[in-house]
Amino acid sequence: MQTSDFRKGNAVKYNGETWLISDFQFVNPGKGTAFTRTKLKNIKTGKALEVSFKSGESIEEADLQYRKCQYMYNDGTDYNFMDNKTYDQFTITKDLVAEYADLMVDNSEVTLVFIDGVPCSIQMPPKLDFKVIAAPPGEKGDTATGGTKPVTIETGATVNVPLFIKEGDTIRINTETHAYVERVQQK
Amino acid sequence: MEVKKLEIRAKIIKAIREFFWHNKFIETDTPIMVAHPGMEPYLDPFKTQFKSERGETQDMYLITSPEYAMKRLLASGFKNIFQITHTFRNKEVSATHNPEFAMLEWYRTNADYKDIMRDTENMIFDVCRRVFKKSKIKYQGVEIDLKPPFERLSVVEAFKKYAGVDKKTLEDEKLLKVIVIKKGYSKSKTMDYSDAFFLIFLNEIERKLGAKKPVFLYDYPLCMAALSKQSKKDKKYAERFELYIAGLELANAFSELIDAKEQRVRLEDEQEMRRRLKKEVYSIDEKFISALEYMSESGGIALGVDRLVMLFTDSTKIDDIMFCGEKFIKE
Repeated sequence: MQTSDFRKGNAVKYNGETWLISDFQFVNPGKGTAFTRTKLKNIKTGKALEVSFKSGESIEEADLQYRKCQYMYNDGTDYNFMDNKTYDQFTITKDLVAEYADLMVDNSEVTLVFIDGVPCSIQMPPKLDFKVIAAPPGEKGDTATGGTKPVTIETGATVNVPLFIKEGDTIRINTETHAYVERVQQK
Repeated sequence: MEVKKLEIRAKIIKAIREFFWHNKFIETDTPIMVAHPGMEPYLDPFKTQFKSERGETQDMYLITSPEYAMKRLLASGFKNIFQITHTFRNKEVSATHNPEFAMLEWYRTNADYKDIMRDTENMIFDVCRRVFKKSKIKYQGVEIDLKPPFERLSVVEAFKKYAGVDKKTLEDEKLLKVIVIKKGYSKSKTMDYSDAFFLIFLNEIERKLGAKKPVFLYDYPLCMAALSKQSKKDKKYAERFELYIAGLELANAFSELIDAKEQRVRLEDEQEMRRRLKKEVYSIDEKFISALEYMSESGGIALGVDRLVMLFTDSTKIDDIMFCGEKFIKE
């Protein structure tokens, strides 16, 4: 796989170990060729590593398998899932679901990502809807926040939204950036 | 986009202007659209077209830097000049890059890169005091002291200190490549010297630069001289520096090359490089070349205003501090 094919959630083999790509960014040191600064997460230990590759360099790709599972609960350190067809149960440590932990709703369906048969990550649709369970009234002309206010969604996470969002609204969130996208009209 | 951060941005830009006017620099205003864009092989200028009423056309480009024009002004008699302008580089989008960005450039006559270092530390400190009434900033939880003098670290020292690469290895393309391959940063057989240099620099050095105090990283290998002069002390190096604060590159500066002949050779090399990379090859800006013959010794610098604002507003994304920035496709 070339650096231009990097996507968040891809897996690569690097220095004898398997890593998930958690982020990557173009870097151009100015008077030279371009590089790709890549954030990697070890699939066994969850350890983070940052490596810059020359753009265009080929990195060995690791094979991924996917399985639709139901998220059941977390016990503080591990996240527990079940495949509803086979009733197989899986656990993933907190470090490996880190960036999605705030958006996990009990009993919702998620896609588990496996490398060599070991569950190592989850995959979420790019956008998901959540119910707002607490919203302070917004104040007009509040320049300090640039016209946004924090609200709490059903998972307990806090999201910055426009002032018109009220408790009980359903809002769409970008699962990658955790940013508010739009208000969803209720039928 | 946050209103509070944008107000700080406006104040920073005002303070920069006040600093240079106070120090007797003239503010210039050269064209953004030019016939001869920067030749750097790894930069991609935006292209557009002029049409006359009779239907004649001429290719035009948005500047990647106002450098050529500002040097022509120096040749025509201006001594110390500065400019804040928007510049454009295609293909560059990231948390710290936007294809359109604000650049501050200044040039000082009868000066070299060391004088520019002093201008730079004085200007940043002055801006901090004017806007925030303090001499330290906090960026991502780390306190950075902006009081001059900033740290000065040569490229040779930085490779030794942070990557354990000594001067002899740094100067030897083969030895340097062996290290890069051993460390696993590349398997590529097509790697050239600057690739090897940057793979070590980006992986082991850059992040650590300017952690508590800003640092001037100076004296680059001659092959990365760009538009800078060869060093008088050691002919293998060029009088160029970059400014790093909190691992972020803010500026690139030179003792300006004023040898027209040498400049032509370098531009021709860059044309050849563009040809090899299958990029558009631009003609040489003859007005720029002939201007060099009338230029006195001078130092100059390009500083990314948006990144300076990011530091002063504790922002990690360039989008947060741009007035109505356009959305560009992002992975």
